[in-house]
Amino acid sequence: MSVQSHDLHLLTGVYAVDALTGDELDEFEKHLEQCPTCAEEVRGLRETAARLGLATAITPPPWMREQVLDATNRVRQLPPSGVRLITADGSRRRRRLSRRLPRPIAVTAMAAAIIALAVLQVGTRHQLQQAQTNNQTIASVLSASDARIQLSGSTVGGTMTAVVSPRDREAVITASGMPTPGDAQVYQLWVISPAGARSVGLLPGSSDRATSPVLAADVQPGDQLAVTIEPAGGTRQPTTTPIVSIHTHR
Amino acid sequence: MNTPSVGQQPHGRGHSEGHGHDLAGLLAQVACGDHTAFEAVYDQLAGPVYGVARKVLRDPAQSEEVAQEVLLEVWRSASRFDPARGSAAAWVMTIAHRRAVDRVRAENAATAREQKAAPDIGTSEDVFELVDMALDRQRVRRCMGSLSTLQAEAIKLAYYGGYSYPEVAGLLGLPLGTVKTRIRDGLIRMRDCMEVSQ
Repeated sequence: MSVQSHDLHLLTGVYAVDALTGDELDEFEKHLEQCPTCAEEVRGLRETAARLGLATAITPPPWMREQVLDATNRVRQLPPSGVRLITADGSRRRRRLSRRLPRPIAVTAMAAAIIALAVLQVGTRHQLQQAQTNNQTIASVLSASDARIQLSGSTVGGTMTAVVSPRDREAVITASGMPTPGDAQVYQLWVISPAGARSVGLLPGSSDRATSPVLAADVQPGDQLAVTIEPAGGTRQPTTTPIVSIHTHR
Repeated sequence: MNTPSVGQQPHGRGHSEGHGHDLAGLLAQVACGDHTAFEAVYDQLAGPVYGVARKVLRDPAQSEEVAQEVLLEVWRSASRFDPARGSAAAWVMTIAHRRAVDRVRAENAATAREQKAAPDIGTSEDVFELVDMALDRQRVRRCMGSLSTLQAEAIKLAYYGGYSYPEVAGLLGLPLGTVKTRIRDGLIRMRDCMEVSQ
């Protein structure tokens, strides 16, 4: 579908309020890079949209403050995007160029903490080897520039946190505050796509801060990450309703 | 630009008024790993971030999750904030609104939209009862009042309802092109109205 640039320009408003989706969104974002007038208009309309948002302020529950501040100790920050490219021309060009460059692999504080836990918690040599091969991947997911943190509360208490990299099609999942499952029961993690449910493995229950991370490969944008309670050893397909699930960003 | 507000800013009532400059400076400190600066950012913006999530998602538990995701994202990517491209408050609110809308759309992909409650076009009592009265809110309300009914409804459905513009067109029974231009014209009018009243 080819749209006249005049028509594209009219999309600044719907774009500023996130009402643009799918192909049209992609097309408009491409157009924005070549249309400084549109970009300037979007900038102004975003400010206006932000005012609509600011006007809705509600004091969040007090526990949230502590929880978020505590989590910052475990989430590594991204380096400045232009840090590796010092060019004489404008910042815009620098930014666009750097977006295409692979992000330097850095083992994050979160990754380090999570890996330490993983190594502490795995029992057998096989699991240890598995954990070591996964570590590199886990570290790269956690530091991927497109990684996105998503979290969701479980119906049995506690929270599942996923760091999802759409580019790498991978996700790292941990749980915290989830009670140890009953005797002969396990938490099993699934990737649910339109094609069905695929087991990723067992998620250790722990009321500690965070369980060892589980790496899910081949996670397509829009897939769902879900945990069910299953009999010891796990099952081939989920047999119970998920206690927690996260829809990965499309 | 803005004069800092003289009155007390109670905890959790973050607004851009008079804080725009501070916020940008704070974000620069956050980008360097400054936890104290992040606490200040949290205190200014947790309210609006949570508020916009509640407005779009309604459900308090989901809104809490989204608000936490957004605030952690602010911590994580503070170095990506570029003051040349807009205000700090707009940067954070853009992340917050996108996240809330993403969540609502992911949900609706799973559950049929028809089963959802009817859109609430006016102010939602449950949310607005709790909203702090603030300058920004009065101004937004007043400027919203200067729009045509269609412009205001389209903007509210898109921004507060989290609907895509084809969905807005469906809800209002209008052609796509009309919704596109109504939203743009309305936002431009709001932008001018709010600039004038600064």
